[in-house]
Amino acid sequence: MLNKKINTLIVLCSILAGSMLSSVANAHPRWVLPSHFTISKEGGDWLTFDVTASHGTFVMDKPAGSETAQIIMPDGRQERPDFVLRGKRRSVFDFFFSEEGTHRVQINNVPGYVTHYKAGKRDTVKRIRANKVERSNLLPETSRDISTTVMFTRAETYITVGKPSDKAFPLEGKFLELQPITKPADIVATEPVRFQFFFNGKAQAGVKAEITRDGTLYRNQQDQIDVVSDEQGFIEFTPEIAGRYILKASHTDKLADSPLADKMNASVHLTFEAILP
Amino acid sequence: MKVKNLTCLLFSLCIALPSWAKSIPETATMDIEFVIPNIEASIYARPYVAVWIEDKQRKPVRTIQLWVGEDEWLKDLRSWWRKVGRNDRAVVDAVTSATRPVGQYRFSWDGLDQQGKRVEQGDYTFYVEVVREHGGRNYIRQKIQLAEEGFNMQLEPTEETGLITLDYHL
Repeated sequence: MLNKKINTLIVLCSILAGSMLSSVANAHPRWVLPSHFTISKEGGDWLTFDVTASHGTFVMDKPAGSETAQIIMPDGRQERPDFVLRGKRRSVFDFFFSEEGTHRVQINNVPGYVTHYKAGKRDTVKRIRANKVERSNLLPETSRDISTTVMFTRAETYITVGKPSDKAFPLEGKFLELQPITKPADIVATEPVRFQFFFNGKAQAGVKAEITRDGTLYRNQQDQIDVVSDEQGFIEFTPEIAGRYILKASHTDKLADSPLADKMNASVHLTFEAILP
Repeated sequence: MKVKNLTCLLFSLCIALPSWAKSIPETATMDIEFVIPNIEASIYARPYVAVWIEDKQRKPVRTIQLWVGEDEWLKDLRSWWRKVGRNDRAVVDAVTSATRPVGQYRFSWDGLDQQGKRVEQGDYTFYVEVVREHGGRNYIRQKIQLAEEGFNMQLEPTEETGLITLDYHL
């Protein structure tokens, strides 16, 4: 009995440690890179996905996990990857795609809480991993300028088998979400792309997104495209060069009546390809 | 009421008529000569080839040739796959055939669309997409006018294609 309790405790601790690690990795943008975005093989095909957290575009760095990876099938149901492995600088999973239509592949982490505060004479901003409930026990008595932020990142990409579909993308109504108005399989270099952002289920103006093409390691400038969503949450941009891209969008807003946080900082990291015109 | 309806019908007929262009003549055919050039390469693979026609609205009308072999590689014909292949598996099954070795080829288009209907007279675009593993991709577009007058034109060679000749005759 006691053994069982200890075991549970160990599991709990490791989950906690794991989630903390993944939040630490959050400082590096977490993203997914599929081996292919399109499948034409009749009967389907295997694809492989790399998941990492890094500052370079498609440069593997920190081992973000794939344990939470989900594949949203064209009919809306969720599946888990077939194989998951974790290396030192990335994790990997494979999935056999056989159903016609567009799938969303997402590796979302659990919400992480960070409390910033000042204490002492120097006015240094300090941080602890605690929500509003936990922080009262952890903060020094002299703390001031206390603010707790809940952070959540969606790392996602879309895979299309045969004819594209758009049933896989219902809004969850939570955090920041991206709706691909231009179908991901229809993104063509030199043609405009249109996406829409939602924050807690509502179209959100002012969401900042930066779009960066593959290969930052081999060029002097990031050459990123910067856009901000309009009143209805739309962004529009044109990838001039064919290739693989990461879109990194984030939005921060105050939370009026959350018992756990004062602010929310939610991100979407979308990987897509712009095909040759 | 009836008279009004009739007037409406006549009026809409008049409006619609210009777009109700005549079909191309029954005997109209386009002969295509196509060359897969000899390319010196350490690893040479036969190219994937798609040849198709689109109308003025850039809607695919007919896939004339599709040389791929295994359907896993259909997607590598990026433009053809996006515009035609992925949307209609039946087209793929109907036209797909094996890849071809270096050489000169000749094939014809009978002027019918994918549904077997003779196309209307008007402006069209002739497309060729050629992709070779370990090699390059060429995407060739040529505007053509299909009417009651024949034409003959030559499309300059590219890296992956030799001279292409189009001969539209009645």
